[in-house]
Amino acid sequence: MKPVAFDYARPRSIAEALETLDAQPGAKILAGGQTLGPMLNLRLVQPDMLIDITRIPELTAVQETGDGVAIGACVTHASIEDGAVTGTANGYLDRVASGIAYRAVRTRGTIGGSLSHADPAADWLAALLALAAELEIAGGSGMRRAALDDFVKGAMETALGTAELVVAIRIAKRGPKARYGYHKICRKTGEFAEAIGAVATDHEAGYFRLVAAGGSHAPVVFTDPRELFKEADPTDARGFDVDMAANALADAGMAADDYDLSLRAIVMQRAIQEAAGQ
Amino acid sequence: MTRITLTVNGTKVTREVAPRTNLADFLREDLVLTGTHVGCEHGICGACTVVIDGEIARSCITYAVTCDGAEIRTIEDFDDDPLMKKLRHAFSAEHALQCGYCTPGMLVAARDLVRRGAARDEDAIRVGMSGNLCRCTGYVGIVKAIAAVACDHEVSEKTAVSADALGPAPGPAAQDSLRETRGNVTSPAQKEQRAARAAAPTLASPSGMNVQTGEITQDGSFTKLTQTITVNHPRDAVWNLMADIEKVATCMPGVSLDGPARDGHVDGRMLVKLGPINADLKGEADVTRDADNWRGVIDGKGRDARSASLARGRVEYELTETDDGKGTLIAVSIAYSLAGPLAQFSRGAIVRNLVNRLAGAFAQNLEAKLEGRDVEQGAQALNAGSLVLSVLWDRLRSFFTRLFGRKPG
Repeated sequence: MKPVAFDYARPRSIAEALETLDAQPGAKILAGGQTLGPMLNLRLVQPDMLIDITRIPELTAVQETGDGVAIGACVTHASIEDGAVTGTANGYLDRVASGIAYRAVRTRGTIGGSLSHADPAADWLAALLALAAELEIAGGSGMRRAALDDFVKGAMETALGTAELVVAIRIAKRGPKARYGYHKICRKTGEFAEAIGAVATDHEAGYFRLVAAGGSHAPVVFTDPRELFKEADPTDARGFDVDMAANALADAGMAADDYDLSLRAIVMQRAIQEAAGQ
Repeated sequence: MTRITLTVNGTKVTREVAPRTNLADFLREDLVLTGTHVGCEHGICGACTVVIDGEIARSCITYAVTCDGAEIRTIEDFDDDPLMKKLRHAFSAEHALQCGYCTPGMLVAARDLVRRGAARDEDAIRVGMSGNLCRCTGYVGIVKAIAAVACDHEVSEKTAVSADALGPAPGPAAQDSLRETRGNVTSPAQKEQRAARAAAPTLASPSGMNVQTGEITQDGSFTKLTQTITVNHPRDAVWNLMADIEKVATCMPGVSLDGPARDGHVDGRMLVKLGPINADLKGEADVTRDADNWRGVIDGKGRDARSASLARGRVEYELTETDDGKGTLIAVSIAYSLAGPLAQFSRGAIVRNLVNRLAGAFAQNLEAKLEGRDVEQGAQALNAGSLVLSVLWDRLRSFFTRLFGRKPG
């Protein structure tokens, strides 16, 4: 249960981190290590070097931008739980953060680390897909932006290049009528979820995203889920058609059995109920 | 070795540590602070919980080198802490421990829960303490003890978020004694693996092929799944191709053979990439065929030396004619089992998806071979899930188009 020997680097700037990453193809980024640590200890991951990016000032800050917020990649779940991100999403992020693993993990696990690892059952992936979050990515040729939808390629696979680094997560501000809901089912508190439903609506702005995630299946995002409601009014959770939602997931290619599909449809319903205050 | 300076229980210490030494081992073995217990060593049990810069953390998955400049508090530092005193008495009064192995971690975590005002009621205590496992008490005494202390504790130390310390402790402002890292320790095996990793996977595009996945079942340690693949080629052609073990092997992503097959026996390896995990399964396979019934069986096993994980698999296939002999239906049943750390870490469903996708990729490549198209030779590792989401999007789009006559977003 001891990791293999590896080198350790602690860059003080994004540029230095990229340089080190570029020079060390066998290196892994350490952004908190709450998933990587267990994998290292079990020797499932055997890197030549760990590049610890948690002391780069830009990565540990939350900044209000004109149209939203930019959360540094190394901001911990615990910081978000404790209210570090204000001015967006009505406390939705705080609540999602407070349900991730355990407090002793949340104090070191980071939002950027979680997204870069792209576990299909991870909370941030589902929660932020509903918000249509964008990632700011630094690489050799400068900064680029990527929608989270395009960034995640599947279970533990992302569009991150070998010498690239997630710098920040950008979340747009929504109107005063925006509502959010998040529900998950875990076998044991703090474990990876079997099923996650996440929803964000701003009907005045025509914004409505519904996410089914959890387990090992790639998440499914409904960018316009109004068709899943029996009644035309998508603000009324009672109209949500659970059977139709389960069928839609199956048709979207989610290779899950009937139990898993209905579990996902039901957590989506609960998330919608929460958003609607019902 | 890397030099670090940190404060442990109020005393400044400077030590040389190997980067792979975790904080728990550093505390126990270098500083002989054996109150911090090591249970699972992979962040599950909570026995190793300590305080780093005021926040609790798991010291088994936190490396000592990352704590350079931090302030650490272990259970030994709480002798005179008023809140911890109350918790100790309550743990004793409520019989909240038996063997005591989990207790240092329990106490450190419980103190943090009470301190943050998060021990509101029994439910909140159970949720808040769910990251600390106890195998003796059944938790009832532990919950009672914490509730007893929490009900008369005034929360004064409520966590305040300070804008410049939002990352894992100790953060950018901490003192830094990192001087140098050792030279590159890349082994030849790692270099070889890196080269294999760099070889991009290629999948031949399907043409008129249809893959259906049936039910996935569990039989002891074996997971079984079935697939039916329909190809637009006569049964003879498919059967003959399947006779060529080397050709069949090149259809399987990540597989390479050490040499030609002898009496249906081959030695070889299979590279599988699952996120940051790279498994290199070295092993062998035996192929038997029953020409009278158009059936074949491939039995294989392999071992990943780096993680000491074992994989076993059995593939059975049967060919039936379809479409008046112009096509062939290949009924495939795959049974596999994993043992060792790989199985311990990987959640079953992720591996099931991977095997399913490997089987799908195999079918596509087989179709390409039947059409005389080339499949990239050699060790092409398939990235688990690299295609999943795009497939989903495409299918989702077609679903919406079909159902509602328009595309989503």
